[in-house]
Amino acid sequence: MDTVFAQTIINGLLLGGVYAAYSAGFSLIFGVMGVVNLAHGELIMLGAFTSYWLFTYFNLDPYLSAPFAMVFLFLFGYVVQKYIINRVIGQPHIMSYILTFGLHLMIANIAIKIWTQDFRSITTSYSGANVAIWGLNIPLARSVTFMVALFMTWGLWFFLMRTETGRAIRATAQDKEVARLMGVDIRNIYAITFGLGAAITGLSGSVMSPFVIISPEMGLEYTIIAFCVVVLGGMGYMPGALVGGLVLGVAQSLAATYLNAGISVAITFIILFIMLVICPKGILGKGTVA
Amino acid sequence: MVLKNFRSILIVMLVCFLSVGVARAADKSAWKIGVAVSLTGVFGKDGSLVKDAYTLWQETVNSQGGINGAPVELIFYDDKSDPATTAKLTEQLIVSDKVDLLLGGFGSSQLFAASPVAEKYQFPLISGGASSNKLFERGFKYYFSTLGKATEEVRGCVDIFSVVTPKPKTAAIIGADILFTSLACDGFKKYCQKNGIEVIHFELFPMALQDYNSLLMKVKNKKPDVLLVGSHLLVAMKTVKAMKEIDFSPKAVAFSYGPTVPKFVEDLKGDANYVIAASEWTPNMPYSGKVFGTAGDFSKLYIKRFNRRPDYVEAAAAGGAVAQQQVLEELGLKPPLSKENRIRIMEALHKDKFETFYGKIQFGNDGANEAHPPVAVQIQSEKLENVFPLDFAEAKILYPFKPWKER
Repeated sequence: MDTVFAQTIINGLLLGGVYAAYSAGFSLIFGVMGVVNLAHGELIMLGAFTSYWLFTYFNLDPYLSAPFAMVFLFLFGYVVQKYIINRVIGQPHIMSYILTFGLHLMIANIAIKIWTQDFRSITTSYSGANVAIWGLNIPLARSVTFMVALFMTWGLWFFLMRTETGRAIRATAQDKEVARLMGVDIRNIYAITFGLGAAITGLSGSVMSPFVIISPEMGLEYTIIAFCVVVLGGMGYMPGALVGGLVLGVAQSLAATYLNAGISVAITFIILFIMLVICPKGILGKGTVA
Repeated sequence: MVLKNFRSILIVMLVCFLSVGVARAADKSAWKIGVAVSLTGVFGKDGSLVKDAYTLWQETVNSQGGINGAPVELIFYDDKSDPATTAKLTEQLIVSDKVDLLLGGFGSSQLFAASPVAEKYQFPLISGGASSNKLFERGFKYYFSTLGKATEEVRGCVDIFSVVTPKPKTAAIIGADILFTSLACDGFKKYCQKNGIEVIHFELFPMALQDYNSLLMKVKNKKPDVLLVGSHLLVAMKTVKAMKEIDFSPKAVAFSYGPTVPKFVEDLKGDANYVIAASEWTPNMPYSGKVFGTAGDFSKLYIKRFNRRPDYVEAAAAGGAVAQQQVLEELGLKPPLSKENRIRIMEALHKDKFETFYGKIQFGNDGANEAHPPVAVQIQSEKLENVFPLDFAEAKILYPFKPWKER
């Protein structure tokens, strides 16, 4: 096979892994609560900053700080859902858009006040490390993120299918009235779901921190990509984030290599448009929201 | 009860309103100078550097007794990196805040939007953070820039290759598709041709690009001798990260802007070494003038105040403020300024030559600074060193770029 083509596919898959990692939480929150969380990118930003500060002040490796980011973001997500977003559950969708957009602005602007506008980057001894196999370049940090995406998708699936809380979450997603009649504490389940979504998003922010540029305003572009990934994979279908991420990553990488970088950004929206028109249930046709 | 609350709110509002009025009245004799600059958004960091530069100028001038006896008061507004907002805020400064003068913010797109407003109200607008050629091609009389034109600014970054061995033969040029960086790419191309370097790849990409790896991999496969990047800070940081990830080591890499901002080296550490960047000023240049003394004095003052070395854009911004101040002193003006006086200031800015810590400033008919040699700096052992032109060089250029795997 042509090396350039193979390299392009590898780049695309690794990029897609990154997309999948940070979109899984978006998919979970949307699937269970029907909330399009426009503050999603800020959760990534907070995860990345958690790693940045632990690295800067305690010299803690970003991969070791990932659990801290998860715990911190779980608590953050739980509180935000319980005291803020729960108020608009059941209201028209527009209310959750307005509320989460407001949260996006608030979190980003508070972060600017505290951490200033600086662009930050974590440079560790292994930053940018890569291996060459058969003339193909494989960046290691991205490969780790790819693994995390796979593991996260599997972990989420396992949690939702095999645990009591997971079953309650699925029951709530399918029919919250019946779930309530069966004794499920809906508000608590929502808070746990949002907390969980935030935690895995924080984790992705943390494992991405060695190779991205971190700044308080980084969030919005990630939210946009996450939205596209979730639409591609099928809204409300959790493993869809992995499929959507990989497809988008490969499509962008092919466009950047064989066309140009400008098209690679545009292609995201072209695909989004086509999907919404032709196949609103996602590539696998398993989305629950059309 | 509700009525009572309402009344007390009204009283509080009235008191606030009056106290603002009193505060304004007290400052009537001060120079009110307005700046619409990006403090948030993509240029938030670059814009806040410009704000620091003006703040230091204000503090220094006020400690020296102000301009013609009147202290300087600066009003900053954040344009959120949005050119339409810059234009709106510039108008607000002139019409609502009734400022005496303006100073320019950061970014060519921002200044491109702000300058027609300044032109309309006949307010001189000097910027130290915008250099796109298009700014100077509109026949404006009130817009000035202490930087050279964008296409000329990068000249040092290419001319430097005429003094290295082996001389590079091919170059790849990439850059963000916005006003300044795309012009910087044009400048790279122009000077590559003049230096006999063949451009084998030229590509502009949107600022929103997340995947630099695929783009740079494509460039790497063409094996250019040097990589020239039309960049701002964020683009420059992302490029270096991606170059290392895909193990791309050309003989040299040069950026139009970014590496001179201290954060670049602070966070990228050793990965920033060998990087070349365009500059127009470094603290070791043999310049001096009123207000700040020599280039070195300015740098020392900056380090004392902000705990970091000034970037050339900060020097250029402060240099513009000093030039405007020199005109006010020469004409013996006092606030508030009339329209006639602003016209006189504009005429003097076109006519005069200014000796400052930033070097000689001489505005051409189009408002661009014509008296400035472009400089190339290189990061060596995590420090910025002036390497070109050779007359001002602090250190010898390190060439070729040390491959990532050998570092």
